[in-house]
Amino acid sequence: MNKRYVMVHDENKCIGCQACNVACRTENDVPDGVARLQVRVEGPFGEMPNLHYSYARISCQQCEDAACIKVCPTGAAYRNDDGIITINKDKCVGCQYCVAACTYKVRFMNPVTRVADKCNFCTDTRLKRGEQPACVTVCPTNALVFGDANDASSEVAQIIATRATYRDKVHLGAEPRVYRIPAKKGGIAS
Amino acid sequence: MNNIWGDMSQYDPVTWHWVIAVYLFLAGLSAGAVMVALALRWAKGEQFESPIIKAAALVAPLAICLGMLCLVFDLTKPFHFWLILINYNLSSVMSIGVIALLLYIPLTFAYALLVFRAPLANWPLLGGVAEALLGWRKPLEVLLFGLGIVVGAYTGFLISAMNVYPMLNTAILPALFLVSGISAGAAANALVALIWFKTDSHSAEISGLHRVELPVVGIEMLFLLMLFSALYFKGGAAASALASLTTGQWAVVFWALVVGVGFGIPLLSRLLPAELRHGKGVTVLAACASLTGVLALRHFILYAGQSYIS
Repeated sequence: MNKRYVMVHDENKCIGCQACNVACRTENDVPDGVARLQVRVEGPFGEMPNLHYSYARISCQQCEDAACIKVCPTGAAYRNDDGIITINKDKCVGCQYCVAACTYKVRFMNPVTRVADKCNFCTDTRLKRGEQPACVTVCPTNALVFGDANDASSEVAQIIATRATYRDKVHLGAEPRVYRIPAKKGGIAS
Repeated sequence: MNNIWGDMSQYDPVTWHWVIAVYLFLAGLSAGAVMVALALRWAKGEQFESPIIKAAALVAPLAICLGMLCLVFDLTKPFHFWLILINYNLSSVMSIGVIALLLYIPLTFAYALLVFRAPLANWPLLGGVAEALLGWRKPLEVLLFGLGIVVGAYTGFLISAMNVYPMLNTAILPALFLVSGISAGAAANALVALIWFKTDSHSAEISGLHRVELPVVGIEMLFLLMLFSALYFKGGAAASALASLTTGQWAVVFWALVVGVGFGIPLLSRLLPAELRHGKGVTVLAACASLTGVLALRHFILYAGQSYIS
């Protein structure tokens, strides 16, 4: 059966520490000034003393119907055997069509390699060795869960089946593979 | 701002800048020049090389090649542009554009050789090729006209294929760009015919171009109205993009340059007395105003379009 790698970000557990952001930068050699992954911390919301912040993971959503793959003129943006969207550096000419077309605006031009770049769940490094992506491993509160949603016994499959989750911008039809567990303080019971 | 999560500059939704607007302008202008000149030639059944057809034969290859230079040097790896010529993805509008341009560009050069065969007659190779092409003139013209439509519309399809930008992701955009490309092509033909080939501004050729002007500007205005009303009635993020018509520098560009200069000056010049309106000065001014308007429209659509995301 085909793999369907997904990531779950539990916004209740996230503390916005950016350990994932830094681990990603180290693991994937991401230059200064650009990022494959950020956690945007916004707030505070509410009235004293009941204040809360929101934590949003900003990274490639690994869309089922990906704009980047459709628009890329050379096939440099492609889906690999694991179903993960990644980039063939040798085919990229730097037209930036994918950067412009990305539904979630998370692709960028790497200033060192001069080709398009983004999160690919550490597919060429950690995933190949059977390890979890760097951000998942390093998260101090276990707010990130990664795995194959097509495997019913996996933790991600069980979370998606039992918890209230949401995905960003579903109205645009890209079918993102990053699921979010909304913070209870936002008023949604999960 | 110094965020804990890092630099935000990569998240600016405006990815493509003015070089791409200039490319979209030049590609539309090249295709428009060919279509207008060929349509006039067929309509009049001309058997000679009119100044308009000469102008188009010159403008079409030059404009598209300048546009290609813009495109290649806007790549982050300009010297790897050949990768785009050997790898194709048929779901990408850009790839389809590459195929269309690979056919269109050589044809514009072939047509230029054919049109200028007399001055090229003494050249050893070019003269021979030009004479040989003469027998294929009609099929060449039909193919060139068809590819002109494809190239003109492609510039709109290219940016309308991105559903994250509500102002760009509309069905009318390719049609709008095709029509405004025709208006730019007609203006460029008039300018080159008047200044380079010294046509009389009262000649039948120039008046033929004048007859194209009014319907084309009318259709352009209608398409813009359709674009904006579609956004308005769609609501949400699409309607928010209409703020670009009332706020910021792109509102000024739209109302002053696209509407005021691009539509206003050519239309107002038609209210002048016939003698004055067909004079060289007024014709050149109106043509320059049209070109400015079309260039401004490409900038407005590209920048305002990319500034608002769904």
